[in-house]
Amino acid sequence: MFKQIQNWFDERIGLTKVIEEFNGERIPRRGGWAYTLGSVLAFLFTVQVVTGIFLLFYYVPYFPIARNATYFIKHHVIFGNILLGIHLWGAFTMIFIILIHMARVYFSGAYKKPREMQWIAGMVLFSVVVVLGLTGYMLVGNENSWWTINVLTNVASHTPFIGGFIREIAKGGTETSVLTMQHIFAVHVWLLPIVVIMFIPIHLFLIRKTGHQGMALEYKNSKLCDDDEKKWQHPDGTVPFFPDQFYKDMIVAIGVFAVVYILAVYVGAPIGPMYRPLALNFAPEADWYFLANEELLKFFPGHGLIIFSTFLIPSIGFAILFALPFIDRTKERSPFKRPAATVLGILFLLLLVYLTLIGGEPKAPATV
Amino acid sequence: MAKSSEESPSRRTFMMVVIGLISTVIGIALAVPILGAVLNPLFKKRDIVWTKLGKISDLNLKPLVPKFVPVYFRVKEGWSVNTLPRQVVVVKQVNGDLLFFSNQCTHLGCPLHWIPARQKFLCPCHGGMFNITGQVVGGPPPRPLYQWVHKMEGNNVYIQNKFKDNPKDRGI
Ligand code: HEM
Ligand code: FES
Repeated sequence: MFKQIQNWFDERIGLTKVIEEFNGERIPRRGGWAYTLGSVLAFLFTVQVVTGIFLLFYYVPYFPIARNATYFIKHHVIFGNILLGIHLWGAFTMIFIILIHMARVYFSGAYKKPREMQWIAGMVLFSVVVVLGLTGYMLVGNENSWWTINVLTNVASHTPFIGGFIREIAKGGTETSVLTMQHIFAVHVWLLPIVVIMFIPIHLFLIRKTGHQGMALEYKNSKLCDDDEKKWQHPDGTVPFFPDQFYKDMIVAIGVFAVVYILAVYVGAPIGPMYRPLALNFAPEADWYFLANEELLKFFPGHGLIIFSTFLIPSIGFAILFALPFIDRTKERSPFKRPAATVLGILFLLLLVYLTLIGGEPKAPATV
Repeated sequence: MAKSSEESPSRRTFMMVVIGLISTVIGIALAVPILGAVLNPLFKKRDIVWTKLGKISDLNLKPLVPKFVPVYFRVKEGWSVNTLPRQVVVVKQVNGDLLFFSNQCTHLGCPLHWIPARQKFLCPCHGGMFNITGQVVGGPPPRPLYQWVHKMEGNNVYIQNKFKDNPKDRGI
């Protein structure tokens, strides 16, 4: 029976061969666990899309009704708290894992020739995923959403020359209004997910094309010699993607999914107070992944300097990261044989953690 | 029958030019309405309204003690008319002059808190500080507090949903 169905497809489109080609891809034997990070990101993104679509059965992108709709999902829709919780904790986990994925790619030198385009596609995914997180935070329609919209559009307004225009286009006007919510909604639900859906296959196609470099450690001689351009395609020991690598991917996927699910059920998604524009004692807070940036905004006082914290430092930092494969053109991949890059990376991560920690400290003077 | 591109190089060039032209035409034709939808806000005039704040005598102002008075602007936004509740911080100076501040921080717009013990407006977001006359005395804000455009008619104050000296229309 199954054989017949298989034959039916094979006769027409050679399905078995396609599947075998995809599944049979050779993956380096060692470093397999480090490669699961990317798959788990793809898995989490799928979960986000699925949960997001069903949140839309109830959600209304209208200030301040949005917050009540969210409240309704959490408290009145059967298992709505789990659905909403998965969407929130899935988003947090995704951002967290994307950072680890980037760190692993960085420390193992996997962004180097011939994988420059993978890194670029990855950076596109990274930016889009972060903006998805931020716009999601705004969509809840609670007090923090309101102030996040205002603060971030004001940050954008400090971009040289076009800042004012960006702010108005994003908001749909000068004021934060119904149009603002509608714009954010369209961006969060349609525009950015479609970009991710386009770039994940590009990212994966490139990985298949250039092969897994993975942890340089697995190569006896991690230095790529020029006369063997294809050396990186032939690591010492390889295994087929299916089931060897897929098995590891699934184990990590269930682990991560369990964490997300438990957080969704037992912590859930905080909805926060209704937006009260007249509140006199409210201290807005950013999501955890934005705290490092938030901390940056506290420095650089005064008119001439504000552009450093709102535009120059973030965009130069981002540009350097984006262009990393073109800045660091050395061939060495092992983290132990390129101490400068490794130390810089560690210092950068420490700075990020430090800024996040102090950025998260309560700074509200309300009680002074 | 027309020649295939393999038979005639010029035919090939011709086909490629036609393919390119068609793509360009479709692309531009689609880009026009899309750009219109995206850039639309830049071409819309902001709805500016006068709204009554109330009688000065009703506010019981004491010199150098800011009073937070809510004001409700009815403005047209896109396809709907909405109420925008905003705070007007009225400060009576020693010489009797009145200042009408917004409670939005001039850094990135967070809501300011008045701290009587320190006689300062503090911003909960990045620690901006303003004194009672609206001048920056600490933190990152780049300019003094925004002041609402206002007018007096008899004893009544009217406020406009617009700040003075704010060419870029920052603030909310
Ligand atoms: C939605 C986000 C992302 C998804 C779904 C994703 C998916 C994947 C997958 C499945 C792999 C192969 C397995 C692995 O090495 O983990 C991979 C590898 C890779 N990713 Fe990502 N990724 C994402 C974001 C990023 C980001 C933000 C970067 C860096 C800026 C990046 C750079 C790379 C590079 C350079 C490789 C190749 C590593 C190698 O061949 O050794 N990716 N990605
Ligand atoms: S918004 Fe007030 S200090 Fe940044």
